[in-house]
Amino acid sequence: MARDDHDGDGSGQPAAPAPLLSLRNVSKTFPGVRALDDVSLDIRAGEVHMLLGENGAGKSTLIKVLYGAYRADAGTILFEGKAVDITRPADARRLGIAVIFQEFSLVPFLDLAQNIFLGREPRRPLTRLIDHARMHREARGVLDSLGLDYDTRALAADLGVAQQQMVEIAKALSQRARILVMDEPTAALSERESNALFALIRQLRAAGVAIVYISHRMQEVFALGDRVTVLRDGRRVATLSAGEATPDELIGMMVGRAVGAVYKRRQYGAAGRIVLDVRGLTTATGVRDVDLNVREGEIVGLSGLVGAGRTEVARAVFGADAIVAGEVRISGASVEGGPERIAARGVALIPENRKLEGLALKRSVQDNLLVASLWKLFPHGWYRAGSAHRHARALIERLRVTPPAPRRLARALSGGNQQKIVIGKWLAAGCRLFLFDEPTRGIDVGAKSEIFALIEDLVERGAAVLLISSELTEIVHVCDRAYVMRAGRIGGELGRAELSEANILRLAMHET
Amino acid sequence: MPAFASSRSVERRVRPLPAILPIGVLLVAGALFAVNGFASARNLANLGLQASILLMLAMPMTLIIMSEGLDLSAGAVLSLCSVVMAESLAGGHGIASALAASIAVGLAFGLANGAMVSLLALPPFVVTLGTLGIAEGASLVLTEGNAVSGLGSAIATLYALDVFGLPFPLLVALATWLTTYLLLHYTRFGTYVFAIGGNRDALVLAGAPAWAYHIAIYAFGGLVSGVAALLLTGRMNAAHPTVAIGMEFDAIAAVVLGGTSFERGDGRLLGTVLGVATITVLRNALDLLGIESSLQVVSIGALILLVIVIDSLRKSRRVQAA
Repeated sequence: MARDDHDGDGSGQPAAPAPLLSLRNVSKTFPGVRALDDVSLDIRAGEVHMLLGENGAGKSTLIKVLYGAYRADAGTILFEGKAVDITRPADARRLGIAVIFQEFSLVPFLDLAQNIFLGREPRRPLTRLIDHARMHREARGVLDSLGLDYDTRALAADLGVAQQQMVEIAKALSQRARILVMDEPTAALSERESNALFALIRQLRAAGVAIVYISHRMQEVFALGDRVTVLRDGRRVATLSAGEATPDELIGMMVGRAVGAVYKRRQYGAAGRIVLDVRGLTTATGVRDVDLNVREGEIVGLSGLVGAGRTEVARAVFGADAIVAGEVRISGASVEGGPERIAARGVALIPENRKLEGLALKRSVQDNLLVASLWKLFPHGWYRAGSAHRHARALIERLRVTPPAPRRLARALSGGNQQKIVIGKWLAAGCRLFLFDEPTRGIDVGAKSEIFALIEDLVERGAAVLLISSELTEIVHVCDRAYVMRAGRIGGELGRAELSEANILRLAMHET
Repeated sequence: MPAFASSRSVERRVRPLPAILPIGVLLVAGALFAVNGFASARNLANLGLQASILLMLAMPMTLIIMSEGLDLSAGAVLSLCSVVMAESLAGGHGIASALAASIAVGLAFGLANGAMVSLLALPPFVVTLGTLGIAEGASLVLTEGNAVSGLGSAIATLYALDVFGLPFPLLVALATWLTTYLLLHYTRFGTYVFAIGGNRDALVLAGAPAWAYHIAIYAFGGLVSGVAALLLTGRMNAAHPTVAIGMEFDAIAAVVLGGTSFERGDGRLLGTVLGVATITVLRNALDLLGIESSLQVVSIGALILLVIVIDSLRKSRRVQAA
């Protein structure tokens, strides 16, 4: 790897300042995933450095390595040219690295001043007791500099989401950081609040602070960024100055993930009647005015970046979350009520976390397969072991569960086979509409295509499928068409001819 | 400077009082009027003494529960501390070394509880259930199941001491309250009690050694038990291996009655003090009415449920109003 400081950046800029912080060949592996793969990156004082990448490209891991929450397996970090060891958050703090996390790090029953100064409480010299007066005075100053008139004695528990985000920002600012890392800071903010934050970022940049900014909004990349680094599959694809790239080029660098063997649809059948018809769906969980439909014989994708509201749509359709406005029609009839009422209409939700929500791990394969259809198999409530065993065997054969052992505990199966059993459970119950939430997460490549083959079997038999996936290639290769969500709304719909990773990302990132 | 004009202003909200306050007041009023002998000077002094030991157990218990923990071993450890103190006195040691031995035993159990909860991430319920068994068994082994007496007069004299008109036990208990209050609101340790219960990750990310503070919470409990043994032993001028077994029930009850939550690090010491007062008055009044101890436990259990139901109903109404 080149040892110069300008590795891979825009060569158009003469006399670029020496980097404040450099990553050199940093790697981080989790079981089964190479989250960071030989990443080198320079961050300079006085620049806004945008980090771009699809879901799972390695941005969050990178931040955590910078902050000492994870330790890199390989590679070095240089601060002002000197190799440093960042093994704990305290190390990062000492170097002047502050992070505004996306998942909030406030303590609910401490007040705002205590939250802002958590871990750095000012103390009186002699008694070592906390100097509340000074702490509140300084907290007041930080909040004032952000134009916030929040009472420093208010508890964090009483704040709304946007307010919590602003306090997070205040907390990071109060550290007088030299490197400020922001993970999608505007996700919870209104446009006005975002604009005020941008003004503040420009001030900090002018004052020589280095800002690392993760964003999913293309507009922000160009409005704010000096340089852009694109990550894909844990590798750095490129670092360029913001002026050099067009949005399309950046998207081109983000897509094309290596996902292994890509599934090939056997055939695209003709779509039948509408099974699921969602109109104007709005929920308290953040879904806004969503319209979508799924027909018999169709696999419809629901794509978008993590947090865009996809799972929330599926949960609302299934009756697991309350609907604030709009309606859900199943096979033409408007439905209301909880999951039991919806399931009785032939709807199945296969949740993302199959171990927690979809399987009884300590029960047998047979028990798991038949649990949703016991009343159908034995309408008089009288369980007949022989008949149950025959049904389970037939399902196991159809699902190609390996090993084909009905009495084996579900826990002892591989991820792919567990997923087959969750699907088989609803198959046995005679469901007509399947809502899949990330069905291939944590499943090896071979089992993935078996899962998709099963899903295709379902639609060939006339079922309707809504498929949520963060893997863009899956949406592109498996679905008949797809909706793309952005910030709780449907950003657009893509027919089979338009279905490509770049088009999905464009809609997901609001690039028109 | 940028102005976040669209952000709504954030005011400090007045927190509603826990339901224990009106219920406790009603209970005291009822006892004053309806229970013969309750208002006598002797009984009121007795109340103060009864409340002292419970207050000492309940103060650290508040911090432990705020940290999303629990200490089932508190009563058994207190018994063991008392036994160790008594054996030491009976062996001819002075009161200072007896107290030091008692504190050492309490601290050891507190550190062990804390280490297993903090470093091994074991559930506090199971950890302290285990140490409860160990402490109870150790007391019985040390005493062969008998009371320890013949302690001389030193500790009884200390117990009967009046300082500025306040009985010694009450003074120690009030000092414990004051110390816990100072720790909770004026030290980093106290701030981190809120953080460990409310958002431990935030504390770790803030660069603080959360694991050490987590251990310290339980260690504080053990230390206070060691001191509380002074009152328990002095009261009878003897120690009994199982005398304080079950006292953790009253301590946990007082904390819960006081409005401290098992989640999110929400708690207040004053509530616990009210809880201690309520339980002491309730037990005392029932004693005076000649109602046996098992029925007293029933009434405390019922009181807990009543207060929790009222508090949760009020909370859900507040959420709806918001």
